[in-house]
Amino acid sequence: MNGTPRVLNRVLLALVGLFFLAAGLSLAALAGLPAVDRWWHAWAGTATKQLRSLTSRTTLPGQTSSWVWIVVSLGLIVLVVALVALMANQGKGRVGVLARGYGDSAQAPGSGRVTISSAVAEQALKSALADRTDLVSATVTAYEVRGRTGLKIRVLPRQGAAPQQVAADVSALVSALDAVLGRRLPVLLCIGAGARTRFTRAERVR
Amino acid sequence: MTGSSMPGMRPDGGGPEATDSFANAEAVVDPGNAASADPGNPGQDWMQRMVRRETLSSRAILAGVAALLVTLLAIYALLESTLRAIGQPAWLVDPLTAVQRASNLPDGVSRPLLGVIGVVLALLGLMFFVTSVLPGKRAKHVLSDPRLAVVVDDEVIAAALARTARLAAGVTPEQVMVIVSRREAVVNIRPTSGVAVPEAAVLAAVEQEIRQMALTPRPAVHVNVGRTGVIGV
Repeated sequence: MNGTPRVLNRVLLALVGLFFLAAGLSLAALAGLPAVDRWWHAWAGTATKQLRSLTSRTTLPGQTSSWVWIVVSLGLIVLVVALVALMANQGKGRVGVLARGYGDSAQAPGSGRVTISSAVAEQALKSALADRTDLVSATVTAYEVRGRTGLKIRVLPRQGAAPQQVAADVSALVSALDAVLGRRLPVLLCIGAGARTRFTRAERVR
Repeated sequence: MTGSSMPGMRPDGGGPEATDSFANAEAVVDPGNAASADPGNPGQDWMQRMVRRETLSSRAILAGVAALLVTLLAIYALLESTLRAIGQPAWLVDPLTAVQRASNLPDGVSRPLLGVIGVVLALLGLMFFVTSVLPGKRAKHVLSDPRLAVVVDDEVIAAALARTARLAAGVTPEQVMVIVSRREAVVNIRPTSGVAVPEAAVLAAVEQEIRQMALTPRPAVHVNVGRTGVIGV
Protein backbone atom coordinates (compact mmCIF):
# COMPACT_ATOMS: atom_id res chain seq x y z
CA MET A 1 0.00 0.00 0.00
CA ASN A 2 2.94 2.28 0.37
CA GLY A 3 3.26 3.60 -3.14
CA THR A 4 -0.48 4.13 -3.30
CA PRO A 5 -1.38 7.58 -4.65
CA ARG A 6 -3.47 8.53 -1.65
CA VAL A 7 -4.30 12.12 -2.56
CA LEU A 8 -5.28 11.07 -6.08
CA ASN A 9 -7.45 8.32 -4.63
CA ARG A 10 -9.28 10.85 -2.49
CA VAL A 11 -9.75 13.24 -5.39
CA LEU A 12 -11.02 10.45 -7.64
CA LEU A 13 -13.43 9.21 -4.98
CA ALA A 14 -14.72 12.72 -4.34
CA LEU A 15 -15.25 13.43 -8.06
CA VAL A 16 -16.91 10.10 -8.81
CA GLY A 17 -19.00 10.41 -5.64
CA LEU A 18 -20.19 13.91 -6.48
CA PHE A 19 -20.98 12.87 -10.06
CA PHE A 20 -23.04 9.84 -8.97
CA LEU A 21 -24.71 11.87 -6.24
CA ALA A 22 -25.72 14.62 -8.68
CA ALA A 23 -26.85 12.15 -11.36
CA GLY A 24 -28.85 10.09 -8.87
CA LEU A 25 -30.50 13.10 -7.25
CA SER A 26 -31.49 14.59 -10.60
CA LEU A 27 -32.93 11.26 -11.76
CA ALA A 28 -34.95 11.02 -8.58
CA ALA A 29 -36.11 14.65 -8.94
CA LEU A 30 -37.04 13.99 -12.57
CA ALA A 31 -39.14 11.04 -11.49
CA GLY A 32 -40.78 12.79 -8.55
CA LEU A 33 -41.14 16.51 -9.28
CA PRO A 34 -43.22 17.69 -12.30
CA ALA A 35 -41.58 21.15 -12.24
CA VAL A 36 -38.10 19.65 -12.73
CA ASP A 37 -39.58 17.47 -15.43
CA ARG A 38 -40.88 20.48 -17.41
CA TRP A 39 -37.61 22.41 -17.01
CA TRP A 40 -35.54 19.41 -18.13
CA HIS A 41 -37.70 18.90 -21.25
CA ALA A 42 -37.25 22.51 -22.29
CA TRP A 43 -33.50 22.65 -21.59
CA ALA A 44 -32.52 19.20 -22.86
CA GLY A 45 -34.67 19.58 -25.98
CA THR A 46 -32.75 22.66 -27.18
CA ALA A 47 -29.42 21.15 -26.11
CA THR A 48 -30.09 18.02 -28.17
CA LYS A 49 -31.04 20.11 -31.22
CA GLN A 50 -27.81 22.10 -30.89
CA LEU A 51 -25.79 18.89 -30.61
CA ARG A 52 -27.43 17.46 -33.73
CA SER A 53 -26.74 20.59 -35.74
CA LEU A 54 -23.14 20.63 -34.44
CA THR A 55 -22.51 17.06 -35.61
CA SER A 56 -24.08 17.72 -39.02
CA ARG A 57 -22.04 20.94 -39.44
CA THR A 58 -18.76 19.27 -38.48
CA THR A 59 -19.07 16.36 -40.89
CA LEU A 60 -16.04 16.45 -43.16
CA PRO A 61 -16.66 16.39 -46.90
CA GLY A 62 -16.65 12.84 -48.20
CA GLN A 63 -17.17 11.39 -44.70
CA THR A 64 -20.30 9.87 -43.28
CA SER A 65 -19.94 11.17 -39.74
CA SER A 66 -18.62 14.12 -37.77
CA TRP A 67 -15.07 14.52 -36.49
CA VAL A 68 -16.60 15.34 -33.11
CA TRP A 69 -16.80 11.59 -32.53
CA ILE A 70 -13.08 11.19 -33.21
CA VAL A 71 -12.33 13.90 -30.63
CA VAL A 72 -14.67 12.23 -28.12
CA SER A 73 -12.98 8.86 -28.74
CA LEU A 74 -9.51 10.32 -28.21
CA GLY A 75 -10.64 12.01 -24.97
CA LEU A 76 -12.08 8.73 -23.72
CA ILE A 77 -8.86 6.87 -24.59
CA VAL A 78 -6.89 9.38 -22.48
CA LEU A 79 -9.36 8.93 -19.60
CA VAL A 80 -9.15 5.13 -19.75
CA VAL A 81 -5.34 5.16 -19.84
CA ALA A 82 -5.20 7.53 -16.87
CA LEU A 83 -7.59 5.39 -14.82
CA VAL A 84 -5.76 2.16 -15.65
CA ALA A 85 -2.48 3.81 -14.63
CA LEU A 86 -4.06 4.89 -11.35
CA MET A 87 -5.36 1.37 -10.68
CA ALA A 88 -1.99 -0.18 -11.53
CA ASN A 89 -0.24 2.11 -9.06
CA GLN A 90 -2.22 0.93 -6.04
CA GLY A 91 -0.01 -0.91 -3.59
CA LYS A 92 3.34 -0.30 -5.25
CA GLY A 93 6.48 0.71 -3.43
CA ARG A 94 8.27 -2.49 -2.39
CA VAL A 95 11.88 -2.45 -3.46
CA GLY A 96 14.65 -5.04 -3.62
CA VAL A 97 17.65 -2.78 -3.16
CA LEU A 98 18.22 -1.08 0.16
CA ALA A 99 21.20 1.07 -0.68
CA ARG A 100 23.56 1.73 -3.57
CA GLY A 101 26.88 3.47 -3.45
CA TYR A 102 30.37 3.65 -4.72
CA GLY A 103 33.31 2.45 -2.65
CA ASP A 104 36.61 4.32 -2.73
CA SER A 105 39.41 2.32 -4.34
CA ALA A 106 41.78 3.38 -1.54
CA GLN A 107 39.76 1.31 0.88
CA ALA A 108 40.41 -2.16 -0.45
CA PRO A 109 37.58 -4.33 0.93
CA GLY A 110 34.74 -2.34 -0.56
CA SER A 111 36.04 -0.72 -3.70
CA GLY A 112 33.76 -0.52 -6.68
CA ARG A 113 30.01 -0.45 -6.77
CA VAL A 114 28.32 -1.55 -3.54
CA THR A 115 24.70 -2.65 -3.56
CA ILE A 116 22.94 -3.80 -0.42
CA SER A 117 19.90 -5.94 -1.08
CA SER A 118 16.77 -5.48 0.98
CA ALA A 119 17.03 -9.14 1.91
CA VAL A 120 20.06 -8.30 4.10
CA ALA A 121 18.03 -6.15 6.46
CA GLU A 122 14.91 -8.26 6.14
CA GLN A 123 16.57 -11.55 7.02
CA ALA A 124 18.85 -10.14 9.71
CA LEU A 125 15.97 -8.52 11.58
CA LYS A 126 13.63 -11.44 11.05
CA SER A 127 16.11 -13.97 12.37
CA ALA A 128 16.92 -11.73 15.32
CA LEU A 129 13.22 -11.46 16.18
CA ALA A 130 12.37 -15.09 15.41
CA ASP A 131 13.47 -16.64 18.69
CA ARG A 132 11.59 -14.19 20.88
CA THR A 133 8.77 -15.89 22.76
CA ASP A 134 6.66 -12.74 23.16
CA LEU A 135 6.28 -12.20 19.41
CA VAL A 136 4.00 -14.41 17.34
CA SER A 137 5.44 -13.20 14.06
CA ALA A 138 7.61 -10.53 12.51
CA THR A 139 7.73 -9.34 8.91
CA VAL A 140 10.23 -6.89 7.47
CA THR A 141 9.84 -5.21 4.08
CA ALA A 142 11.71 -2.41 2.33
CA TYR A 143 9.61 0.35 0.82
CA GLU A 144 10.44 3.29 -1.35
CA VAL A 145 8.36 6.40 -0.84
CA ARG A 146 9.24 9.61 -2.69
CA GLY A 147 12.67 8.32 -3.66
CA ARG A 148 13.71 7.31 -0.14
CA THR A 149 14.05 3.70 0.90
CA GLY A 150 13.10 2.65 4.39
CA LEU A 151 12.15 -0.44 6.33
CA LYS A 152 8.74 -1.37 7.60
CA ILE A 153 8.83 -3.85 10.45
CA ARG A 154 5.55 -5.41 11.48
CA VAL A 155 5.47 -7.47 14.66
CA LEU A 156 2.55 -9.26 16.26
CA PRO A 157 3.22 -9.57 20.00
CA ARG A 158 1.39 -12.04 22.18
CA GLN A 159 -1.48 -10.66 24.23
CA GLY A 160 -0.19 -8.73 27.21
CA ALA A 161 3.30 -7.99 25.92
CA ALA A 162 4.32 -4.41 26.70
CA PRO A 163 4.58 -2.46 23.41
CA GLN A 164 7.17 -0.04 24.79
CA GLN A 165 9.44 -2.99 25.63
CA VAL A 166 9.04 -4.45 22.14
CA ALA A 167 9.74 -1.02 20.62
CA ALA A 168 12.86 -0.54 22.75
CA ASP A 169 14.24 -3.96 21.79
CA VAL A 170 13.56 -3.47 18.08
CA SER A 171 15.13 -0.02 18.38
CA ALA A 172 18.32 -1.62 19.72
CA LEU A 173 18.31 -4.14 16.86
CA VAL A 174 17.89 -1.38 14.30
CA SER A 175 20.78 0.55 15.83
CA ALA A 176 22.93 -2.55 15.40
CA LEU A 177 21.73 -2.78 11.80
CA ASP A 178 22.67 0.89 11.28
CA ALA A 179 26.20 0.06 12.33
CA VAL A 180 26.42 -2.96 10.03
CA LEU A 181 24.98 -1.22 6.97
CA GLY A 182 26.88 2.00 7.54
CA ARG A 183 23.83 4.12 6.91
CA ARG A 184 20.81 5.10 8.87
CA LEU A 185 17.62 3.94 7.22
CA PRO A 186 14.26 5.37 8.22
CA VAL A 187 12.33 2.61 9.99
CA LEU A 188 8.64 2.25 10.74
CA LEU A 189 7.65 -0.28 13.40
CA CYS A 190 4.04 -1.45 13.46
CA ILE A 191 3.02 -3.31 16.57
CA GLY A 192 -0.20 -4.99 15.62
CA ALA A 193 -2.81 -7.49 16.66
CA GLY A 194 -4.58 -10.06 14.56
CA ALA A 195 -6.30 -13.40 14.66
CA ARG A 196 -2.97 -15.08 15.36
CA THR A 197 -2.36 -13.08 18.53
CA ARG A 198 -5.94 -13.46 19.71
CA PHE A 199 -6.04 -17.23 19.62
CA THR A 200 -2.56 -18.08 20.84
CA ARG A 201 -1.80 -18.25 24.53
CA ALA A 202 -0.99 -15.06 26.35
CA GLU A 203 2.54 -14.22 27.43
CA ARG A 204 2.70 -15.24 31.08
CA VAL A 205 6.26 -16.00 32.03
CA ARG A 206 8.35 -12.88 31.87
CA MET B 1 13.25 -10.75 28.11
CA THR B 2 15.66 -8.38 26.43
CA GLY B 3 16.24 -10.34 23.28
CA SER B 4 18.38 -7.74 21.57
CA SER B 5 21.00 -10.22 20.44
CA MET B 6 21.36 -10.21 16.70
CA PRO B 7 23.24 -13.17 15.24
CA GLY B 8 25.94 -12.09 12.87
CA MET B 9 25.65 -8.41 13.73
CA ARG B 10 28.28 -6.66 15.76
CA PRO B 11 27.39 -3.09 16.67
CA ASP B 12 31.00 -2.04 17.20
CA GLY B 13 33.86 -2.18 14.74
CA GLY B 14 32.25 -4.66 12.37
CA GLY B 15 30.97 -2.16 9.80
CA PRO B 16 32.21 -2.49 6.24
CA GLU B 17 34.75 0.25 5.56
CA ALA B 18 33.54 0.92 2.03
CA THR B 19 30.36 2.50 3.28
CA ASP B 20 32.25 5.58 4.45
CA SER B 21 32.50 6.81 0.89
CA PHE B 22 28.99 6.02 -0.27
CA ALA B 23 27.89 8.54 -2.84
CA ASN B 24 24.87 9.62 -0.83
CA ALA B 25 26.76 11.52 1.85
CA GLU B 26 23.76 12.61 3.91
CA ALA B 27 22.92 9.01 4.70
CA VAL B 28 26.38 7.99 5.80
CA VAL B 29 26.88 7.45 9.50
CA ASP B 30 29.96 6.67 11.49
CA PRO B 31 29.55 3.06 12.63
CA GLY B 32 30.78 4.06 16.10
CA ASN B 33 27.93 6.40 17.01
CA ALA B 34 25.15 4.96 14.91
CA ALA B 35 22.97 4.48 17.96
CA SER B 36 22.91 8.13 19.02
CA ALA B 37 19.78 10.09 18.14
CA ASP B 38 20.22 12.57 15.34
CA PRO B 39 17.73 15.47 15.23
CA GLY B 40 18.51 16.33 11.61
CA ASN B 41 17.76 12.80 10.45
CA PRO B 42 16.96 13.00 6.71
CA GLY B 43 14.60 10.03 7.01
CA GLN B 44 12.28 11.99 9.27
CA ASP B 45 9.87 12.93 6.50
CA TRP B 46 9.81 9.32 5.28
CA MET B 47 8.85 8.16 8.75
CA GLN B 48 6.21 10.86 9.17
CA ARG B 49 4.69 9.95 5.82
CA MET B 50 4.65 6.26 6.68
CA VAL B 51 3.11 6.95 10.10
CA ARG B 52 0.38 8.95 8.44
CA ARG B 53 -0.22 6.12 5.97
CA GLU B 54 -0.37 3.64 8.81
CA THR B 55 -2.71 5.59 11.10
CA LEU B 56 -5.20 6.62 8.40
CA SER B 57 -7.28 4.01 6.68
CA SER B 58 -6.49 3.17 3.06
CA ARG B 59 -8.93 4.07 0.34
CA ALA B 60 -7.14 1.93 -2.25
CA ILE B 61 -9.92 -0.65 -2.61
CA LEU B 62 -12.81 1.79 -2.89
CA ALA B 63 -10.82 4.04 -5.21
CA GLY B 64 -10.05 0.97 -7.33
CA VAL B 65 -13.75 0.12 -7.50
CA ALA B 66 -14.64 3.69 -8.49
CA ALA B 67 -11.87 3.78 -11.09
CA LEU B 68 -12.98 0.40 -12.51
CA LEU B 69 -16.59 1.57 -12.72
CA VAL B 70 -15.66 4.76 -14.55
CA THR B 71 -13.25 2.84 -16.80
CA LEU B 72 -15.93 0.37 -17.86
CA LEU B 73 -18.37 3.21 -18.63
CA ALA B 74 -15.65 5.04 -20.55
CA ILE B 75 -14.72 1.92 -22.56
CA TYR B 76 -18.34 1.39 -23.58
CA ALA B 77 -18.71 5.07 -24.57
CA LEU B 78 -15.42 4.79 -26.46
CA LEU B 79 -16.73 1.81 -28.42
CA GLU B 80 -19.93 3.55 -29.43
CA SER B 81 -18.27 6.84 -30.33
CA THR B 82 -15.56 5.04 -32.35
CA LEU B 83 -18.22 3.06 -34.24
CA ARG B 84 -19.94 6.35 -34.96
CA ALA B 85 -16.67 8.00 -36.02
CA ILE B 86 -15.85 5.30 -38.57
CA GLY B 87 -19.41 5.24 -39.82
CA GLN B 88 -20.35 1.77 -38.60
CA PRO B 89 -23.74 0.81 -37.15
CA ALA B 90 -23.98 1.17 -33.36
CA TRP B 91 -23.59 -1.88 -31.09
CA LEU B 92 -26.29 -1.17 -28.50
CA VAL B 93 -27.28 2.44 -28.97
CA ASP B 94 -26.06 5.29 -31.12
CA PRO B 95 -24.66 8.20 -29.02
CA LEU B 96 -27.05 10.77 -30.51
CA THR B 97 -30.04 8.50 -29.93
CA ALA B 98 -28.90 8.00 -26.35
CA VAL B 99 -28.74 11.77 -25.82
CA GLN B 100 -32.17 12.12 -27.41
CA ARG B 101 -33.62 9.47 -25.10
CA ALA B 102 -32.06 11.10 -22.06
CA SER B 103 -33.51 14.47 -23.03
CA ASN B 104 -37.13 13.21 -22.91
CA LEU B 105 -36.32 11.06 -19.89
CA PRO B 106 -39.34 10.73 -17.64
CA ASP B 107 -41.15 9.42 -20.73
CA GLY B 108 -40.31 5.91 -21.77
CA VAL B 109 -39.39 4.63 -18.28
CA SER B 110 -41.73 3.97 -15.36
CA ARG B 111 -41.36 6.78 -12.83
CA PRO B 112 -40.97 4.60 -9.71
CA LEU B 113 -38.16 2.65 -11.39
CA LEU B 114 -36.43 5.88 -12.40
CA GLY B 115 -36.76 7.19 -8.84
CA VAL B 116 -35.30 4.00 -7.34
CA ILE B 117 -32.37 4.03 -9.78
CA GLY B 118 -31.77 7.68 -8.89
CA VAL B 119 -31.78 7.02 -5.15
CA VAL B 120 -29.42 4.03 -5.47
CA LEU B 121 -27.01 6.05 -7.61
CA ALA B 122 -27.15 8.94 -5.14
CA LEU B 123 -26.42 6.62 -2.19
CA LEU B 124 -23.46 5.07 -4.04
CA GLY B 125 -22.15 8.56 -4.79
CA LEU B 126 -22.65 9.62 -1.18
CA MET B 127 -20.67 6.59 0.02
CA PHE B 128 -17.75 7.44 -2.30
CA PHE B 129 -17.86 11.11 -1.35
CA VAL B 130 -18.07 10.55 2.41
CA THR B 131 -15.18 8.07 2.33
CA SER B 132 -13.06 10.55 0.46
CA VAL B 133 -13.80 13.44 2.81
CA LEU B 134 -13.76 11.84 6.28
CA PRO B 135 -10.34 11.58 7.95
CA GLY B 136 -10.64 7.81 8.47
CA LYS B 137 -8.50 7.45 11.57
CA ARG B 138 -7.58 3.90 12.48
CA ALA B 139 -7.61 2.56 16.05
CA LYS B 140 -3.87 3.10 16.50
CA HIS B 141 -1.57 5.23 18.61
CA VAL B 142 1.90 6.56 17.93
CA LEU B 143 4.56 5.57 20.45
CA SER B 144 7.58 7.82 20.72
CA ASP B 145 11.03 6.35 20.22
CA PRO B 146 14.32 8.17 19.51
CA ARG B 147 15.24 5.95 16.55
CA LEU B 148 12.05 4.45 15.10
CA ALA B 149 8.61 5.61 14.11
CA VAL B 150 6.33 3.29 16.08
CA VAL B 151 2.61 2.71 15.48
CA VAL B 152 0.74 0.48 17.94
CA ASP B 153 -2.70 -1.08 17.51
CA ASP B 154 -5.07 -0.08 20.31
CA GLU B 155 -5.71 -3.77 20.88
CA VAL B 156 -2.07 -4.33 21.86
CA ILE B 157 -2.19 -1.38 24.27
CA ALA B 158 -5.41 -2.74 25.79
CA ALA B 159 -3.87 -6.20 26.28
CA ALA B 160 -0.78 -4.73 27.96
CA LEU B 161 -2.90 -2.54 30.24
CA ALA B 162 -5.12 -5.52 31.08
CA ARG B 163 -2.07 -7.47 32.14
CA THR B 164 -0.88 -4.62 34.37
CA ALA B 165 -4.34 -4.16 35.88
CA ARG B 166 -4.70 -7.90 36.49
CA LEU B 167 -1.37 -8.09 38.30
CA ALA B 168 -2.18 -4.99 40.42
CA ALA B 169 -5.68 -6.20 41.29
CA GLY B 170 -4.77 -9.84 41.86
CA VAL B 171 -7.57 -11.22 39.68
CA THR B 172 -7.73 -13.66 36.76
CA PRO B 173 -7.46 -12.45 33.14
CA GLU B 174 -11.16 -13.12 32.58
CA GLN B 175 -12.14 -10.57 35.25
CA VAL B 176 -10.45 -7.66 33.51
CA MET B 177 -11.62 -5.92 30.38
CA VAL B 178 -9.87 -2.87 28.96
CA ILE B 179 -11.24 -0.62 26.22
CA VAL B 180 -8.77 1.75 24.58
CA SER B 181 -9.99 4.56 22.37
CA ARG B 182 -8.15 7.58 21.06
CA ARG B 183 -8.27 9.67 24.23
CA GLU B 184 -9.52 7.23 26.84
CA ALA B 185 -8.57 3.90 28.40
CA VAL B 186 -11.34 2.31 30.48
CA VAL B 187 -10.38 -0.56 32.79
CA ASN B 188 -13.36 -2.67 33.92
CA ILE B 189 -12.68 -5.10 36.78
CA ARG B 190 -15.10 -7.66 38.22
CA PRO B 191 -13.75 -8.37 41.71
CA THR B 192 -13.53 -11.83 43.23
CA SER B 193 -16.38 -12.19 45.74
CA GLY B 194 -15.23 -11.26 49.22
CA VAL B 195 -11.92 -9.76 48.11
CA ALA B 196 -11.68 -5.98 47.73
CA VAL B 197 -9.90 -4.64 44.64
CA PRO B 198 -7.30 -1.95 45.48
CA GLU B 199 -8.74 0.57 43.03
CA ALA B 200 -6.14 3.30 43.68
CA ALA B 201 -3.28 0.85 43.23
CA VAL B 202 -4.75 -0.42 39.94
CA LEU B 203 -5.19 3.14 38.69
CA ALA B 204 -1.62 4.03 39.64
CA ALA B 205 -0.20 0.91 38.00
CA VAL B 206 -2.13 1.40 34.76
CA GLU B 207 -1.26 5.10 34.64
CA GLN B 208 2.41 4.32 35.11
CA GLU B 209 2.29 1.73 32.33
CA ILE B 210 0.62 4.17 29.95
CA ARG B 211 3.17 6.87 30.85
CA GLN B 212 5.98 4.46 30.01
CA MET B 213 4.40 3.82 26.62
CA ALA B 214 4.67 7.56 25.80
CA LEU B 215 1.68 7.52 23.46
CA THR B 216 0.35 10.39 21.38
CA PRO B 217 -2.41 11.24 22.09
CA ARG B 218 -2.13 9.93 25.64
CA PRO B 219 -5.40 8.29 26.75
CA ALA B 220 -6.85 9.23 30.16
CA VAL B 221 -7.29 6.22 32.45
CA HIS B 222 -10.57 5.32 34.17
CA VAL B 223 -10.97 2.31 36.45
CA ASN B 224 -14.42 0.83 37.06
CA VAL B 225 -14.75 -1.85 39.73
CA GLY B 226 -17.93 -3.90 39.39
CA ARG B 227 -20.57 -3.80 42.17
CA THR B 228 -20.97 -7.57 42.11
CA GLY B 229 -18.21 -10.11 42.55
CA VAL B 230 -17.62 -13.43 40.85
CA ILE B 231 -16.30 -16.78 42.02
CA GLY B 232 -14.49 -19.45 40.06
CA VAL B 233 -14.11 -17.64 36.75
